[in-house]
Amino acid sequence: MNILTNGNFLAILGASVAALAGIGSAIGVGIAGSAASGVVAEDPKKFGSTLILQALPGTQGIYGLLIAFIILNKIGLLGGSMAELSAAQGGYFLAASLPIGIVGIISAIHQGKVAASGIMLVGKRPEEIAKAMVYAAMVETYAVLALLISFLMINGIAI
Amino acid sequence: MAIVKMNKISIIGLNDIKTELVKEIMDLGVVEISSQDSKLTDPEWINYVKKDGNENEVLNLDMKISNLNEVLTSLEKYDTRKRPLFSTRKAISSDEFDEAVLNNNSHVNENVSTVLELNKSFRELCSEENKLEAVILSLKPWVKYTIPLNMTETKYTSIFIGAIPSIADIEKLKAEMSQEIGKFYMNLIESDKDQFYFSFICLKDEKEDVYDLLKKYGFSPILFKDIEGTAAENILKYENYLKDISVKKEEIENKLTELVIFKEEIQLFYDHIIIERDKNKILNNLLKTDTTFYIEGWIPEAKKESVKVVLDEYQCWYDIKQPEEGEEFPVLMKNNSFVQPFESITELYSLPSPSNIDPTIFMTPFYILFFGLMLADVGYGAIMSILCFLVLKKYKPEGGLQKLLKVFFYCGISTAFWGLMFGSVLGDAIQAAAKLLFNSDFIIKPLWLNPMEDPMTLLIFSFVFGVIHLFTGMAVNAYMLVRDGKKLDAVFDIGFWYGFIIGIALWLFGNIIIPGSNLVGKWMTIVFAIGLVLTQGRAKTNVASKLISGVLSLYGITGYLSDILSYSRLLALGLATGVVSSVVSILGSMGGRNVLGILLFAVAMVVGHSFNFAINALGAFVHAARLQYVEFFGKFYEGGGEAFNPLVKNTKYYKIIKEDF
Repeated sequence: MNILTNGNFLAILGASVAALAGIGSAIGVGIAGSAASGVVAEDPKKFGSTLILQALPGTQGIYGLLIAFIILNKIGLLGGSMAELSAAQGGYFLAASLPIGIVGIISAIHQGKVAASGIMLVGKRPEEIAKAMVYAAMVETYAVLALLISFLMINGIAI
Repeated sequence: MAIVKMNKISIIGLNDIKTELVKEIMDLGVVEISSQDSKLTDPEWINYVKKDGNENEVLNLDMKISNLNEVLTSLEKYDTRKRPLFSTRKAISSDEFDEAVLNNNSHVNENVSTVLELNKSFRELCSEENKLEAVILSLKPWVKYTIPLNMTETKYTSIFIGAIPSIADIEKLKAEMSQEIGKFYMNLIESDKDQFYFSFICLKDEKEDVYDLLKKYGFSPILFKDIEGTAAENILKYENYLKDISVKKEEIENKLTELVIFKEEIQLFYDHIIIERDKNKILNNLLKTDTTFYIEGWIPEAKKESVKVVLDEYQCWYDIKQPEEGEEFPVLMKNNSFVQPFESITELYSLPSPSNIDPTIFMTPFYILFFGLMLADVGYGAIMSILCFLVLKKYKPEGGLQKLLKVFFYCGISTAFWGLMFGSVLGDAIQAAAKLLFNSDFIIKPLWLNPMEDPMTLLIFSFVFGVIHLFTGMAVNAYMLVRDGKKLDAVFDIGFWYGFIIGIALWLFGNIIIPGSNLVGKWMTIVFAIGLVLTQGRAKTNVASKLISGVLSLYGITGYLSDILSYSRLLALGLATGVVSSVVSILGSMGGRNVLGILLFAVAMVVGHSFNFAINALGAFVHAARLQYVEFFGKFYEGGGEAFNPLVKNTKYYKIIKEDF
């Protein structure tokens, strides 16, 4: 049981939680990708524009990676010499990773749905791709905010 | 830097100059001829005029266009010459164009019909090929069957073949057959995973009984119509046919390849037909009487004189006037060459409504600033700008692509500038390389700050940029209100909000910058809040509801708050670029200082940075646009304008230049 009071364990757990945002991105990109195949089946020339829309829900995974990376960097895991963290410090890292971990998953799934409808839109009106992109970016806002909060929290943790 | 002023033009002329005049108008390319269908139901007009138009000619030309299209796509397939990355229209003078059309006319028509003919026979050969392949496939199971397929009976016996599903119990079938039918012969020719292929010989009298019995086992007879001889013979025959067909196909392909040299001529002809089609199509928008025609449309005010010259020359009656108050006119934006490419960003949202304002010039500096802040890297910015510059110089693309490349050119410069400010050159690739190769702790100092180490400062600046952006949007709104004679509205709706927002900001954060200024802020907030409460309900009639809407309007501060917070993405996306770069560097450096490690480093750099650049440039583009569309345009902009669509030579392959006289 004492592993739960091990600060280093908690900090690494935090990095893992942040990286879980990739789940959402995988689902979101998947949803958008199946819609894109449908559109491209009709008109292969739309590959480029549908690919751009499909890529949009992928950013949450990157944000998750980013936070995970910052945590690992900060606790020195990547440099080879890991700092000795107290349970509280480790807990802080875990807590700070929650926003991007949770918001990342959910927002990426929903952004995937919006991107998929955007791809349908591009299928019918290719000139409206910018609008489709902006709709998807509206969802991403919340992932960006979560990223920011996670980042600021980690930045503020003293070790 | 605004929406171009449009004038309404009406022209009446004699029928015999109509074709000539339409051609001249097309050459000018500044007149939009609008549809006059509404006049056809207007009793004042309907007694005198009819709708003009030449539907048959348009249909005829459309058909030609689709033929030419088919010819060009099929020639494209056999054109082995290297194609440029960006296709651009070739410049040609209008005299040369007309001459070429005249000279090549018969010759092009001949080539076009040859290509169409060849395409048709090619398609026929393909379908013949498919048919033969299908027949061969159906004959395959009977290769070992040596009786000719057309032989179905002898004097006393009946001969037939067929398939039985492989789930049937063949042993049982055989047993039943020998039990119930005296003399018969059945032979398993072939079997695959679905079916058994059997041949049968039985007495003619018993054929019905045999059939009945076989049906119980799912037997289906197979008949080959019009085939003589054995299956093996026939397969051989058809395979020879197939060989012939593929030879013929190759011949056709060779002929088509030879015709590729005429592609340019056919393209020119295609453009010619497009022009003719458009000239005939626009006649639909004309009205006519027995001897005259009537044109109505729009011209930019600045181009009035050049149109007048032409109309005078053709002795037309015409009238050019300002649009009436509130009349919707087509929208054309005009900006200086720096701002002009950013019109494409405005167009992606929507053209301004005629009574609104062209937002491009206000948006441009912010778009460039925000894009740069979110990508912020010297390397990425330089690569982007240089690539765009080279493509623009080398290929001279036109239209939307040209605008987009110019947008990215300017954004690249801004990206490089902010990269310098934040000390980011391909992320930390150079530091990582120095560390890996020479073990030096060399660092590139940011000119301003490192966002990784001091995110709070940059966050505050993001909000400051946001407030400036929003205030600019509100100022444009105020300008429009003043322009439309609503000066008080501008003071109440914009001025008071300025005061209120600045007041709150000072009250909360003023002391950090100027000690004591929070008191000023406090009083500003109170005064302007009272101002807002008193004025925001002015549309209501009774005092109570005036006050209630006034108080409720203060709730609008949450809207401003969320708008401002939205600018935090400037920091967040900027960080994303930097952190992914350092992930790349760390992964790349894992191999250590040896040949393999350096190789790994190089590969990781190329792949990683390409990926990081692509995803973050996309993010910067989308989010910079979003900040304009949602936060900025939300403050003043009203879209929904119809684009100015003048009658022009809408050619695809050649750019026709009218020489000056």
